[in-house]
This record gives sequence, C-alpha cells and structure tokens, in this order.
Amino acid sequence: MSAPHSSATLSRKAAIVGIGATEFSKDSGRTEMQLALEAVKAALDDAGLKGSDIDGMSSFSMDHNWENEILRQVGGKELKFFSRTEFGGGAACGPFVHAATAIASGLCNTVVIYRALNERSGLRFGAGQLFNTSPLDPNIINFSHYFPYGFMTPAAWIAFSARRYMHEFGATSEDFGRVAVAMRDFAATNPNAFFYQKPITLEQHQTSRMIADPLRLLDCCQESDGAVAFVVTSVERAKHLANIPAVIAGARQSIASTTRMMTPFYGESISGIPEFDACADDVYGMAGLSPADIDMACLYDHFSPWVLPQLEAFGFCKRGEAKDFVKDGHIGRGGKLPVNTHGGQLGEAYIHGMNGIAEAVRQIRGTSVNQVANVNHVLITAGAGVPTGAAILAKG
Amino acid sequence: MSDPAVAALLELVTPLVNRRVGPYNGWNPVTRTQIWQWCMAMGDENPLYLDDDYRAANTDFTGAVAPPTMMQMWTMRAVNGDHGPGSTRQNPYEILAIMEQHGFAGVMAVSYDQTFHRYLQEGDQVHHYSTIIKISDLKTTGVGKGFFVTEKAEYMDQNNEVFAEALITYFQYQTPPKQPGAKKAAAPGKINRVHPVENQDTAHFWQGLRDGKLLIQRCTSCNTLRHPPQPMCEKCQSLQWDCIESTGQGSVYTFTVMHYPEIPPFDYPNTIVLVDLQEGVRIVSQLIDTKPGDVHIGMPVAMQIKEVQDGMSLPLFRPVQK
Amino acid sequence: MTTIHNLQASQIQTGDKLPEFALPITARLVVSAAIATQDFQDVHHDKAAAQEKGTPDIFMNILTTNGFVGRYLTDWAGPGSRIKKIRFNLGAPNYPGDTMIMSGEVKELSEENGLTLVHVEFRGKNGMGNHVSGSAIVQLADKGASK
Repeated sequence: MSAPHSSATLSRKAAIVGIGATEFSKDSGRTEMQLALEAVKAALDDAGLKGSDIDGMSSFSMDHNWENEILRQVGGKELKFFSRTEFGGGAACGPFVHAATAIASGLCNTVVIYRALNERSGLRFGAGQLFNTSPLDPNIINFSHYFPYGFMTPAAWIAFSARRYMHEFGATSEDFGRVAVAMRDFAATNPNAFFYQKPITLEQHQTSRMIADPLRLLDCCQESDGAVAFVVTSVERAKHLANIPAVIAGARQSIASTTRMMTPFYGESISGIPEFDACADDVYGMAGLSPADIDMACLYDHFSPWVLPQLEAFGFCKRGEAKDFVKDGHIGRGGKLPVNTHGGQLGEAYIHGMNGIAEAVRQIRGTSVNQVANVNHVLITAGAGVPTGAAILAKG
Repeated sequence: MSDPAVAALLELVTPLVNRRVGPYNGWNPVTRTQIWQWCMAMGDENPLYLDDDYRAANTDFTGAVAPPTMMQMWTMRAVNGDHGPGSTRQNPYEILAIMEQHGFAGVMAVSYDQTFHRYLQEGDQVHHYSTIIKISDLKTTGVGKGFFVTEKAEYMDQNNEVFAEALITYFQYQTPPKQPGAKKAAAPGKINRVHPVENQDTAHFWQGLRDGKLLIQRCTSCNTLRHPPQPMCEKCQSLQWDCIESTGQGSVYTFTVMHYPEIPPFDYPNTIVLVDLQEGVRIVSQLIDTKPGDVHIGMPVAMQIKEVQDGMSLPLFRPVQK
Repeated sequence: MTTIHNLQASQIQTGDKLPEFALPITARLVVSAAIATQDFQDVHHDKAAAQEKGTPDIFMNILTTNGFVGRYLTDWAGPGSRIKKIRFNLGAPNYPGDTMIMSGEVKELSEENGLTLVHVEFRGKNGMGNHVSGSAIVQLADKGASK
C-alpha cells in the first residue's frame, strides 16, 4: 500500500492492563447484564483498579448492556467517553482504537471494554436470524436481496468466498480442515475451552456434516454464552500497575470501497479480505514493525476458510500460499506463527473475537496455557466479511 | 439447574435404567373393527388389511391383517387410563415421572426406530415389555434444557414371540417460566419466505420483478450499471438513473449448496448462486432444476422470474444446455 | 375392487422419487386418528387444554404420523410389499389448517432371501418445516407370488 500511514499519535500511548472473563458455555443461566458485570469486575480486579478509576467505556453496537448500568453497578463515578462499534464481530478491534485514541488525546484515562452475549441460549446468529422488517432498518434493505432465497446463514455467505478461494488458488476442503485441526489442538489443552481435551483429526473434519458446501460443521465456530472485558489505560499509569502491559502499538479500523455487511459479493475479486489488505501496512507502520516481528497472532476464526486470506493480507505468506503455510504447520503448536493458542472461536468459544484478544494479552504477559516462547508482538484481527479492524499489541 | 442438582437427579434415575417392566397387556385381541377404524382414519386402502378376496388369493393370512404401524396401539391404555387385564401395575415411565417432579415437566418424543418381524392378524393377542435403556447428559435444545431418554419396547404375541420392537427417544425438558401476563400461544401460521422490504432506493427493482422484468440500474450520467440498487453512482456520484431490462443470461461466479440448518419453507439441499449477468453486474439467486452436484463455477445459466408466493416474484436461475 | 399394482425391483433405481402426497390437516383428522390409535392425551382433542400447555391448537399424535408413513410407503410399493423397518425424527407439529406434503427417495436396493429390499428416505413437510423425516426398509412383493 502506498497510502501514507495513519497518524501515529495513538501508537504506544495506551495499554491493556486488565482482562476478565466469565466461563464459556452453551447456557450461562444468567442475563447478559450479569455476564458483563462479572467480566468487567474481573478485569478491574486483574488490573488492580476500582470502578471509580474508570472514566471511559467502549463496546459493540450489538451488545445489549448499557454503559450507565455497568458504571453504576461497578461503583463508577463518571464517564467522560463512551463509544460503540457496529458490524458484529467486525467490532472486535474498534473499541481498542477508540480507547487508545481517547486516552492519547487526553479525553480520558481508563477505558473499560466489554462484550457479553448469550448467543447460544439466546438469539442464535447461525439459525437464519431475522431483522426488524421496517424499511428504516438498513439490515433488512441489504438482506432483502438474499433472505427470500433462503440465503440466510453466515456459513452460506462465507461459502461464496471460500468457493472462489478454492477455485482461484487450488485450495481444498482439507486446507480449511487443517486450520480447524490446529485450533482444536490448542483448545484441547486449554481448560477454559469448550472443546478442552477434544482434539479433532483431519479425517473427522472431512467426514463432519456439510453445512453450506464447501463449509463443513467443523469449519464453523461454536455458538457460545459468555463475556470478556478489558481495562485499557495510559502507558504512564500502566507503569504503576502489577501486570505486564500489552501496549497498543498499532490499531486501525477498516472499510474498503467493496465492503458490504456480510455480503461482499460485488468486488472484482471476492476471494480475499480487502479490508485487511487495506489496513495491514498501516497497522505495521504505526507500530514500526513488519510481519517478521510478529511472534503469534489471534486471528478472527468464525469460519476456518477465512483464516487463510488473513495470513496473506498481513504478509506472512504470499497471496494464494496460505494453504501451504498452514500445511507446513506454521500456525500450529510449535509453528513459526502460532495462531489462536487459546483454541480460537472454533475451539474455545465464540465471544465475537474478544476471547482471542484476551489470549493475545496473556501471550504478552507470558501466562497463556499454551505459551509461546519470547512473545513481544501479537497481531489481532476483528471479523472478516464486514467492516473490521486490526491491531498489534506489544510487550510494555 | 445447578450441576450438583443435575447429579443428584441422575443418581435417582440411573438405577432404574435397564430395568425391564411388563407385561402390558392389550384389552382385546387383534380385531377387524379396530383395523377398520384405523384404516378409515388414515385413509389407508391397502387391500391386504381388510379385503378378504385379495388376501385369500394372494397371501397365507387367514383373517384381517393389521397394518404394522398399529404395533403400539394394541397395548395402549383405555380411555380410563388403565392397561389391559393382567398388566403389571409398575409405571414404565417412572424415570420420566421423577424427572418431572424435579422440574423437567415438558416431554416430547423426538425419534422412533421400529423393526417389524411379522404382521399380526385377527385373533392375535398382544402384550409388551418396556425398558429404559439410555439417559443422556443434560442437553440444551431449542425447547430448553433436558435429557434424552430412550425406551426399548418389545411387542409380543400370545406365544411370547417378538413380532415388533421399537426404540423411542423422548426429550424430557425444563419448561421455561411464563412471563406474567403472557398471552396464549398465537394461531399457527404457515412460515413463508422472508418478504423483501422495499424503500425508495429499491422499490423499482421489486416492482420490476412483479412486472416480469429484472431491472438493472444505469447511471444516466456515465452509463455505469449497478446492482444491488443504490441512490448514487459510485463512479461519477450522479443521483440520476434509469434502468435497463436484463436478458437474464449469465454464468455462475460462485455458489454454495446449503444443507443445514433447514430453514422453512425452503427445500434442502438449497443451491445458492452468485451470477455474473451478461450485462456486467452480479446478482444472488437460487439455482433450480438441477442436482446439487451439477453446479460449477462458469456454468451458463438463464433466469426465469417466478411468483414463489403471493406478491413475491423472484428471478430464479436454471442451467442452460449448451 | 381396486386394481392391484405391486412395485417390482426392475421398475425402480436408486435416486427415484416417490410420488408426493398432500395431506390436509383438519381437526377431524387429528381427533379421529388419535382415537383410532387409542391415544387420549388431551392435546390431541381439546384445543383449550392444548393452549394451556403453550401450543396454539390441538396437533397430530405420533402414532398417527406413523400410520401415515406406513400408508405412504405401501401406497407406493403395493399390497404385496411388507414394511420391515421405519425410523424417523419428529419436528414441526401438524396443526389443523396446515398441509403436510410427503415426499421420498429411493436410496439403496438390496436383496435378502431372494426378495428385494428398498431403502427409502422420506419426509413430511408442513408450513413450518419438517414434521417427520426418516428412513424405511420395504420388502417388495415376491414376483412369483403376486397375481
């Protein structure tokens, strides 16, 4: 990309100093509000901070929990900044961009980021979800071109691009399967993962039921209940806290001219992820790093096929070669770029990518159950196929 | 329900697994009247069952024959709730009753697996034995949390020979608490395709389909075509546009064959295609009149506008023979 | 006297579709078949009791579904056929006012004791989805015995 890098004023001004989560399950048995509170309290405790230390908040537009309710219950006093990011899992990095920007600008000092969802026991996204039918809702205006045909599940939308990727680069269902096998291998040794002690083989992947050809059951992430929260503060304040800070070295949101909401079918090519192609150089540039500096990555894995073009967009291999990169074992245990050492959304839980960012922080701190040696820089991405974002965390 | 409570419940019911109970006797022998009543209700005119001439000429049966699916009916309880004379007083569903007392009050049968060894005829006398052979872990389904419970039923005749057997799986589940003031369940309705929602940017497109035309938007300033419809030309930013009528000819750019979940009212597998129209824009649709295995990238296709339900006309595509 | 038609192995092959059969669901059908199957659960004849249990109307009982599956198979295979196995899963209930469309497909042909076994997959779909879906094994009429 020859475009000038984004202003680097937010680079290395803020750091993640607290992480918290609930257990991940298929039925939490409590409200999303309680899940959010449990995770936020755990993140504050982890950071060694109190509710009264918070002066900013950021979350997903899809999150059902209001900032004022959380602030009051965790003992907060006042919020000077709050923001939401749209587009489902595409929102996973946005709140960190917002938090770092607000902190770098001096608007506020300590931002809580949260995402809580009863996605499995409540409103399931994979079941052919319906939107409001008011013509004032942009969702239904967009999906009116798809729902009347029964084209109503995320797996089916992703399948269009996966099919093109196979066609253009000779990838196969087995190449997607190797991603799933690697994620499930990490999940198998993570006691917090839903699929703890349940690794899969490539053969099991190949015989799992077809969902939306070419996507099989084991290419699809889980549906989960749970919450994850973070505390982000200035790097100055972070120096006085106990945890090793995960410094936000580069972070950006990304919408390309061909971006659509889950239905990016109209660009010249639909086999890649143009949003990541557009922002990768920027994110590296802001951090002053290159792909060779990245020690591990937490990539958004709602569906295994779309891990491949992410590896390409962020420069770990050339376009069309991610299948070989994966086949050579580079993203797995002991590989040169371990990906999703918590097990990903395929293996640990589907918390809209936020559980992956928590794993990135643990890798920086050196506390992951599947710890990679000498981690200094971790790449994180938000959901593909929608407006999205990416970030690099650095050991502070 | 907490894990210890689930464990306590399982501890109560597990000893009852694999306990064979019975016999449960029929009230009457297999009779022509009951076969007749069944066949009339089902509209089943198979001459094997009640046509004496057919049976004498074609089979070795000596009396009216019972449809095999009547298997379970012969030992059902009468309207007063009692099993036939001589039946055990033990409740075959004690496990389900215990689960009900522990808050799992809902029950639904989810699957039936029946094997028929011989057909019954008039005069046969039926009894059955029941064994709960399996209880699942606590599972969450669309209706709630509960247990899958599998019953094995052995249906026997007067010579204690098994003429049919069945594995019946029930889901015994926790019924969710009712919202105060919640209304009674609404009248059942047919599930239709989601109707396209129109606004000022898209109404012309859907009206065009109702008029039998697939319309592609054209910028009147720079002639660029676009789909799906939008107000502004992304090439020249003009808000002026008209439409051309598509020939409906094109080729498959990519596709998926949807298998699961099966969303009503669609038939599965459901093949969805992204079509490169000859005019140079893409459109999503269903591929019809083809087997799922036959679709491939580059396949030539042609459109047919079909009124798939009242007031909804869609451009569907089918393969073109070369 | 109806004409007797027995399906022969030579007339079918894997992939053949069974003719579709549309069954309009009425309250009369639900109630009369529930009684014919000796099923006196109130949800199959008492609308108010059914609504109290959270369903919108009375609905077809399972033994009736079973009866219609059996009829669907032998209407196709003929009176000389014998049903050996039926297994199915239950889904959307059959409420009065709906219509269930039965369809089926031949999945496999095998032989046992000189007789042909047809393995059929079937489903009954109503306005809300699949009411019943499953598989069956039907033994075709003995060629020599059928007249």
